[in-house]
Amino acid sequence: MNRYKGIRFFAYVLEILVLFMVQETPGLLPPILGARPVLLIPVALSIAFFETDLAAMAFGVLCGLFLDFGMGTAFGFHGLFLGVMCWLLGCLAAELIRTNLLTAILAGILGIFLLLSIQWFFCYLLYGYDYPGYAYVHHYLPRMGYTLIFMPITYYFNRALALFLRERD
Amino acid sequence: MNHNDLLHTRSFKILLTVCAAMLCLMLFTAGFGGEAPSNLLSFFSTPMQRVGTLVTTNAAVAARDASTSKEELMEENAQLRQQIAELQSQLVDYYDLKKENAQLYKYLDMKELNPDFQLVSASVIGRDPNRFYTFTIDRGTAAGVSVNDPVVTDEGVVGWVSSANSISAEVTTILSPDTRMGGFAETGGTDKVVGESGVISTDIKLADQGLIKLGYLTADTQAKAGDIVVTSGLGSIYPQNLKIGVIESIGHEEYDVSLYALVRPFVDVTEVRDVMVITSFLGQGEAMTGSDTSSGASSGTTSGDSASSQETASGASSETASSASSSSSEDTP
Repeated sequence: MNRYKGIRFFAYVLEILVLFMVQETPGLLPPILGARPVLLIPVALSIAFFETDLAAMAFGVLCGLFLDFGMGTAFGFHGLFLGVMCWLLGCLAAELIRTNLLTAILAGILGIFLLLSIQWFFCYLLYGYDYPGYAYVHHYLPRMGYTLIFMPITYYFNRALALFLRERD
Repeated sequence: MNHNDLLHTRSFKILLTVCAAMLCLMLFTAGFGGEAPSNLLSFFSTPMQRVGTLVTTNAAVAARDASTSKEELMEENAQLRQQIAELQSQLVDYYDLKKENAQLYKYLDMKELNPDFQLVSASVIGRDPNRFYTFTIDRGTAAGVSVNDPVVTDEGVVGWVSSANSISAEVTTILSPDTRMGGFAETGGTDKVVGESGVISTDIKLADQGLIKLGYLTADTQAKAGDIVVTSGLGSIYPQNLKIGVIESIGHEEYDVSLYALVRPFVDVTEVRDVMVITSFLGQGEAMTGSDTSSGASSGTTSGDSASSQETASGASSETASSASSSSSEDTP
């Protein structure tokens, strides 16, 4: 690993730590329709656009583990799904799709929808809580929408980070 | 690259290995608890969250002071004066009935009222957007906090510790569907307190309105709107007589003859920032019988037993679990 790649990866880790803190800190991001955003999903998906499939998977797993830690689910649950999503996105970005804001937003819609729907299925529906449909409509959908707002921001931030630290490679 | 090529790449094999590792990690943490990875992540995140919470709190206070106009302050002042007048009139009535107890409640803090309580103060440092009505506090097992410890403020019950690592802990609040506990509605009487026992629970619809439900009340219940609900102590996770909330209305259960009361908790758990964890109290871990909780309660004994058995039947809560697991009087949460 060359020096700038190491710096870039270190910057990603710092970004993930800071955004995890922002995501968890009470009162920092105002709730919309009672929902708060899950910042680590757009971050992981954005990084996947600019890194190799393996690096994308590694940062996806890291973000997933932080999500598990915050949510209190078994470690590896979000790590598994987010790791696979980011690996797929890394492969697609390298071989099949163009990297621009439109594809980032489309990937964000799909990724956020899939991950939060999986979360709803395994962590709400299968737990047998009451009113799963109500929970999905009134809690999960607003959370998806609010999270998606951050996709362009994280996309441009990580694009700038990747280009800035890659130009010197 | 076609998909057959992709499946034979080194990258895909590494992906499969990582997936297997994640599955093993899930099984391990589900079976043995995730304290080690949790401690590791807490080591990095908790100090940052503490600083973040401190900065946010100070900024919020500063912003609120700076952004409040004179008109808003005057309006707030008028509202507070009106509220004071109302509360004073209520207090007069209350003093007439239980002057001595009212003074004790007013002037003695929780520790003095309950010398057996071991309290650990904690601050809320995290609210995960993926979880319903839970939060993280900055005290963990190193400070004596352990799973199932009750969490309170001076206003009333907040919830219970659902998981803990060495430097932080997760609190599941009374607005979470995971919480069930014995509740006791104190119906005002002229010379003694009459009580109705039930089971406190909620669902996501009620929680969104900030309400909880005192269920399994008998059909001839004397509980009514305005009554105070306290913990019954059944199940021995919570001490007796911790304030929970006030009854807003009484309704009929859909599928049986019992009644329920909708209760507005005294503590707004969505906004609470500082809490106390009761790490030890007299009777903790000892299952109590219905008669233990009904001293001075004329109608509470029977319904208290009923509530206990309902809790046992539901088997869904920490308190329930401890009740259910004990056929004797001893019980470890």
